[in-house]
Amino acid sequence: MHQAYASGVVRAKGQPILLALSKAIQRRYVLFLLLIAPAFLLRITTAAYPILQTIYLSFTNLNLLRNTNDFIGLQNYPAVFNDYGVREALSFTIMLVVSSTVLELIVGMLVALLLNAAFFGRGFARTINLIPWAIPTIVAGYAFRWLLDDQFGLIPYWVNLISGARMVAFIDPVSARIAVILVHVWKDAPFMAFIFLAGLQGVPLDLYEAARVDGANAWHRFWHITLPLVMPLTITMGLFRVVWSLGSFDLVYGLTQGGPGVATSVLALQVFREGIMFFKFGFASAISVVLLLVVAIVGAIGLWLFRRSEVSY
Amino acid sequence: MVNDARVVRPWNRRWSSGAVYVSFLFFTFVVLLPVYWMVRSSLAPAADLIKVPLVYFPAPTLRNFVTLIEQVPFLDYVRNSVVFALATTLVTLVVSFLAAYAFARIRFPGSGIIMWTLVLSMALPDVGTIVPLYRILSSLRLLDTIAGITLVLSSALAPFTVWVLVSFIKQVPYEIEEAAIIDGASLLQIFVRILVPVTRPALVTMGLINFINAWNNLLYPLSFTTSPSSKTLSVSITEVFAGYSPWGKPWELIMAVGVTMTIPVVILVLFSQRAIVRGLTGGAIK
Repeated sequence: MHQAYASGVVRAKGQPILLALSKAIQRRYVLFLLLIAPAFLLRITTAAYPILQTIYLSFTNLNLLRNTNDFIGLQNYPAVFNDYGVREALSFTIMLVVSSTVLELIVGMLVALLLNAAFFGRGFARTINLIPWAIPTIVAGYAFRWLLDDQFGLIPYWVNLISGARMVAFIDPVSARIAVILVHVWKDAPFMAFIFLAGLQGVPLDLYEAARVDGANAWHRFWHITLPLVMPLTITMGLFRVVWSLGSFDLVYGLTQGGPGVATSVLALQVFREGIMFFKFGFASAISVVLLLVVAIVGAIGLWLFRRSEVSY
Repeated sequence: MVNDARVVRPWNRRWSSGAVYVSFLFFTFVVLLPVYWMVRSSLAPAADLIKVPLVYFPAPTLRNFVTLIEQVPFLDYVRNSVVFALATTLVTLVVSFLAAYAFARIRFPGSGIIMWTLVLSMALPDVGTIVPLYRILSSLRLLDTIAGITLVLSSALAPFTVWVLVSFIKQVPYEIEEAAIIDGASLLQIFVRILVPVTRPALVTMGLINFINAWNNLLYPLSFTTSPSSKTLSVSITEVFAGYSPWGKPWELIMAVGVTMTIPVVILVLFSQRAIVRGLTGGAIK
């Protein structure tokens, strides 16, 4: 490397290689670097450097309240996996991602088919479909918590009127988890619907005509034409969405605060609690690293699906 | 003649349009139920929320909003949220537009890889960096300031914005700029006179999406702000929730903050539905 540079200096009559490039190209490169500099400066100081710091801190017992700050190697990791809160959060995070993604794909597709049908009121339907996406997640969390309130919530009240049963959403771990998953679907399925809708609108109509002539029924047309064509876009956008939601805790923060106990806590919420509320920076960083690994696995599965879906048509 | 398709179709169509309307009504009901419940609770006198049978349409009053203004520095929170959302939108757009122009227009060795590094960095979970960010902001004396949370969130929103803007700038024919360059226009003039007007739809779209994202953001204000001079509405709703009234949670106040946070985003959605959807789908819906 060093030698190549040195020989370059000699070869170009004592000029370094960069100067040997034409003035126009030099100006172009400088311009490119200047234009991307602000974005990269932001990303480096608030993402790249902090993520390395997180990894480093996960090997320390930095704790602002106990005033400890020593390098302790891997000791945080057994502690993390033995921590009841983290274990519950890890299993619910995976449960939430898998079940809500599957449900969101199904519900999103059904809503997209509705929004793509020709009927009076379609414009209205498309507009209100954006409301769950646009409403602040924390607000949606509180709104549903109040809607499901066991004393004065509308839904338990109706359930009671119809069946006489008393519905208690947030005291039992199982029903609390179901509530979180369903509200997650309410919040995110409309977004999936728009992605599907974009795909549906991009399918050439003559493909359907040709299939109809060949005797394919509605289900066959959907399965063999529509689905393969909308899959690549769905996986890319769905993946961004899933990864985004792995890193956030707004919904459970509003809906259940992770309760009852820690039944509906997610990894992101545990990071926030241990780090920002209890100032156990080292321990919280180790949970962050676990979260990073989950994201990496989900991302790898997503990329694998994307490759496959591209090959299939 | 009897098995002519036209004879079959009206029945078929009537049945299917009936199914479409039933699903349309169900869909509308599910989407709007929480919104109705929130608005109803925010406009009700507190006593009406704890009556059984439930009061569906209480006599509307703005009493709860007045209480918020009197008991918490509510107007400060509104102001902070507006400043935070607008500043984040602006910083994100400027920074992303410059980078997107470079990626879309300037040939540079490895520019594709550089761009994908940037775009993929959005996969880093935001919460995974809050502990170091807390220390960085603290050492820069940006903890508990709107500037601090603005910088951090702008950075998080930039990758997606760059990604969408690059595809939009690539759709603008290069000849226009070329003509301007030949006429001796400077880069600043090219930006202001040509690129900004031509890519305005994309800028509006990403501006709206970023504004909504910033307005809704909870993580950064909750982690990095502590005083009324920089706390946002999203933090304030969690604090109102943490409070107790004699008969439980003050739901009329929580819902009043919720409605305040929902009104601006719903207005934006109603007036610019198409623009937002175009950005969300990366330009795939026309």
